[in-house]
Order: sequence, then C-alpha cells, then structure tokens
Amino acid sequence: MHWSKTVAGLAVLALCCALGVSGTVPEQQLTVYTPQTTYSLPVVERGGKPYISIMNLLSPLGAPPPATKGKDWKINLSKMDIRLTDGKDKGTVNKQMIDLGGNVLLENGRFMVPMDAMLPLLGRLLNTTIDFHQPARRVFVGNTSTRFTADFKSGEQPSLVLHFSQPATRLDMSHDEDRGALSTHSSKTTLTFRKDPLVSDLKTQQFGDGAIQSLSFSEENGAAVLTITGNKHLQLTRSDDGKTFTLQPQAPEIASTPTPAQAAMPSAEGQKRTPEFFVMIDPSHGGSDRGATFGGKLVEKDITLHLARELRKELEERGISARLLRESDIDLSLDRRAEITNEQRASVYVALHAGRPGKGVRVYVPLLADAQQQPLAGRFLPWENAQSGALGRSQNVARAVSQELKKKGLIVANLGVPLRPLNNIFTPAIAVELAPEDDLQSLESQKRQTNVATAIALGIVQIRSQIGARQ
Amino acid sequence: MIPRHFQITIALVLLAILISGIVIIRMTHKEEALTLQAAEAGPAAPTVSGKQEHIQLLLAYDEDQALRWRPADVFLPADRNLRARETLRSVLAQYLQMPSPHPLAKGSDIKDVYFISDDTMIVDTTAQFADGHPSGILLEELTLASLIETLTANVPGISKVKFLVDGKERETLAGHADLMSFYQTAAVHELAKEFE
Repeated sequence: MHWSKTVAGLAVLALCCALGVSGTVPEQQLTVYTPQTTYSLPVVERGGKPYISIMNLLSPLGAPPPATKGKDWKINLSKMDIRLTDGKDKGTVNKQMIDLGGNVLLENGRFMVPMDAMLPLLGRLLNTTIDFHQPARRVFVGNTSTRFTADFKSGEQPSLVLHFSQPATRLDMSHDEDRGALSTHSSKTTLTFRKDPLVSDLKTQQFGDGAIQSLSFSEENGAAVLTITGNKHLQLTRSDDGKTFTLQPQAPEIASTPTPAQAAMPSAEGQKRTPEFFVMIDPSHGGSDRGATFGGKLVEKDITLHLARELRKELEERGISARLLRESDIDLSLDRRAEITNEQRASVYVALHAGRPGKGVRVYVPLLADAQQQPLAGRFLPWENAQSGALGRSQNVARAVSQELKKKGLIVANLGVPLRPLNNIFTPAIAVELAPEDDLQSLESQKRQTNVATAIALGIVQIRSQIGARQ
Repeated sequence: MIPRHFQITIALVLLAILISGIVIIRMTHKEEALTLQAAEAGPAAPTVSGKQEHIQLLLAYDEDQALRWRPADVFLPADRNLRARETLRSVLAQYLQMPSPHPLAKGSDIKDVYFISDDTMIVDTTAQFADGHPSGILLEELTLASLIETLTANVPGISKVKFLVDGKERETLAGHADLMSFYQTAAVHELAKEFE
C-alpha cells in the first residue's frame, strides 16, 4: 500500500516535470483575413469542440456593443439583426434561422459559439465568398489572398528569392508572435505569416543544394508557414516594398566584429524596419451606400471599385505597393476608412469617386475647416483637422496627378473641398472624381478607366521621392 | 312571396350603395394624402414681412459647373436671424423653380438658423434637402458654396457656418460634402472663386 502511494506520487511528479519541460501549450488561434483588416482570435475547446467568442469575431468588423438580457444576446451590424440564446444550437440573422453546429455557451458574461458557426454568420453579414481552411483555422473573406513564387539560384552564393503578389509586411525579426516570426536553426529556417493571407498550392519543392535544400508551405494555428531546409544559417533581406524576400547563407564574416564601415551599413533587420511606401486606394461608397446613380443600373460604388482595381494594377506594375480599402460590396463608414488608412500608415491615400456634372476628371485636395490650425509636436491632432500636417504634400500629389491626366488629353480640374474622410487622414490624401464623357456608359469604359488609372499611377511615381516613406 | 323584379331592384340598390361607399372612402384617402403632401412640401418656416431689397445671390449652374452672381428682389426683415434665413431660402427657391440651374429635391428648405456667437451660425435644413440632394462631390460642394457665399454677402460678420439636417448632425450632405465640420466662410470664399 505504502509502495503503491509512492509510485503514484512519483508518476504525478514525472508528469509535472514533463509538462514543465515541454512548456506551455501554444494558444489555439483562428485568423480572419478581410480586404480591410486581418485579425486573430483565441479558440478554446468545450466538450471536444472548438469555440470562439462571438464578440472577438464581430468587433473587428465594426460591431457595436451587444444587447444582452439574461440568456439572450443580440446585435445589429450592417443592418443585420443577429440573435443568440445561451444553451441553444440555433441562432437567427434577420429572423432567418441558422444552425450553429453546437450550443451557445455563456461564460463569464461572454457568449461563445462553435467555431464552425463563424461560416454562416460571416457569410450572411458580409454577403461575399468565405473560404475556410478549417484544419489551419484560417478564414479568407472575399477572395483575399497573397500568393508567392520561389526562384532558386545555385552557385557559390546560392539564394532563394520569394516573390509575393502583395507586400508581406508582417514578417518581423522581433519574435513577436502576433506579427510573425523568423526562427533560424542550422538546418531549418521558418517564416511564419499570421497577418498576411498567404496561400499556396505548393507542398514541398526540392532544390538539392547543401545550403538551401527545400522549401515547403504549410498552414497551422491561424498562420501560414514557409520552411526552408539547409545546412547553414540563412540571412533574410526584403526589397521591392516587401514583395521580395531573398534568403542567402549567412557570410561567416558577418558573425565577426564589424568594421566601422560595416557598422554604418543598414542591417537586414534595419532594412526590414524601413517604412514601406504604399498607396491606400479607397473605392468610395459600397454596401448600402450606392453613391451617385447614373441612369438606374450604373452606380458609383461599382465604378469606384473597378477603377480601384485598375489603379492597384497600374501601381504594382510600376513597383509601388497598393492596398484597397474594400475588395467587395461592403459597408465601410467614412471614419473607419480614415482609421484603417491611419493605422496602416499609408504613404498616400487616394479616394476614387464618380459623379456629375461636367466632363473629364476632377482632382480634389482637402479644404480644412480651420486651415490655420497646425499640428503641434507631441500633441494629438483634432480628428477633423488630422490632414493639416500633410496638406502641402497632398497638394503636390494632386498637382502631379493632374499633370499626368492632362498629358493623356483629359479635361482636368483641381479643387480644394471639405470632403470626408480626406480631412481625417494624416498622410497625403487626394480624391479623384471621374465625370461622364459624352454618355454615362463612358464611366465604365475599360479604356477610359485604364487611362485614368495609369495617369494617377504615373503621378504618384513622379511624386514618390518627394513624399518619401511613411512617417 | 316577394316579386322577382323587386328582389333585383333591392340587390341593385345595395350594390350601388356599396360601390358609392368604396368610392367615397378612396376619395377621402386621396384627399388626406394630398393634404399631407402639400403640408410636407410647404414652407418649413413661416414667411416673414420686411423691406424688399435688391440683393445678389450666388447661384450654381450645373451645366457649366459654375457659380454666378444673380440679382434678386427679396423681402428681408431687419432681425439678423430672420434675414439670414430668408437669404438662404431665396437661394433654395431659385433651385426649386422649373427649369432649375441646379435642381434640388422638392421640400428642400431652411427650417431655422441660430447664431451661437456673433460670427458663428447654425443652419438647420429640412430632411428633404439632404435626403433628396443629388449625390456627387461637385454637386454637393456647389450647393454649400452657393448658400454660404450668398449668406456672407448679405449678412455681414459671419465667419463660421455649420449645417444640420432636420435638427440633427449628419456626416455628409449626400455622401460627399462634409456636414460635421464648421465651414470657414473665408475658405469657402476661396473655393467659390474657383467656380466664378
């Protein structure tokens, strides 16, 4: 009896030691990629099923605080009325029943729903395609994705160059899990992308070199992982505004004490910290806000989205990164547009509009409510005058874009107007409004849109050095 | 036994009464709707008496995207508030006539104006003014520039103006022009010059 107690005690002790050695189990996460933002939320096990907090899922999409009464929970988001009840496996969206795939749980005042309930909820709310990579817990809203190609160069200094379709901005040397991490071992280099919607059909690609032997792609725990095997430590450098990653074996002398000249050179880490230049394109309106209407079917929100995609293409062809504030027909408030642009620290903001009257194209710069009000160093800027510090640069961008539009033979007008959300953006910001030519159909003419998008892109290329990188 | 012809007559009389009733009810509803419509489309503020003055209105012309000064004879009271309101209403009246150089929705009107300080004024418009305003940056800016410039030309001493819609703040006029901020009349003057 005495011996059996001792054995049991030792077993418990061994288990505790084993847990201690293995460290804490990493938190399970679900990552949602939308055209506007990317966010991760914790996933917990309840009764063998993965559960998420409903507010963790909806808050980043702009959900207001919910109304709760006893076991009932309701919220109004994007004109959708969502209702859940603790203990029930069905909820309603605009009075239409949805199957949640498990009971709603109320824990410490938080309503938890099965992770799979996220699909019908987001599908109804966002009214767009939802692609769920279930084993890896990654959700792609509205065809959001970043793809890559790999280019291996053998030789004395072998290198692996990864080209991404969008800037992979979230990789960081800081080992900050939330922002991605790079861990290098003698035989394995791992690049983790949590904030970038990286997808690939690649499983493993063999290169057969000693220093760089293979590249594999995998997805796990709400992130994408690129693993490069080899027998040397690899050094990573980024270029092309974060769209190109180059991995090379670390030169031995780098490990030694640097010479003063070497010390003055920017390190790979320093390069990664170089602010990225990118243009935030705002296809104005969207969702229930249709903007101006042109003869019934043609609406401003569709014209601006098409023109925005065209502008992104033109900018990327000229080596400038661009992001769209919306990729699909969704509601996005003016304040939220400014918040996203400011949060992501865009280098230039371009709002696209279409409207009557007149012909040609109008280029607008902000007209501030209080033009005299200047930002004070170290102080907060008033929201309505956030643009005050960038107004001069906005005017330069507008001038450069107008010149390029004129070169294309378009009628151009330059105006300063109190237009939201331009005034709330602290980076150079302009708005471009496309007016119909001889008929309304000219607004959706591919040729005309390409012409305008090319001119805007050329204007930004021209002014880029003056604007500099983001502040 | 009631004769057959008598039965038919009674049935026809009842049918006639029924049809007349339906017609009367429908006419009553139509009349109510017209009365309501007329009330909604009517002036948002009472008309005021005053001295007729020959003033200048800065009007928007959509066709050539311009603002032009046009003379008008308007009854303007001496009271500063009422004078400001009537000046603005005279601009809107130009846009509501047919044909209009800058068409606005029926019912577009100024409900009231308030001076919150000597140089700062709040203009409260009807819901129809914003709800029915054509959407477009230029169209919206032309409306506001026309109103503010005419106001400052005829009511001296105003340096800031803010617009409300039916007593409430609204983000934009019709999706573009900012209605949350106070407009600096000096800045609007510069904007208006671009269109003149």
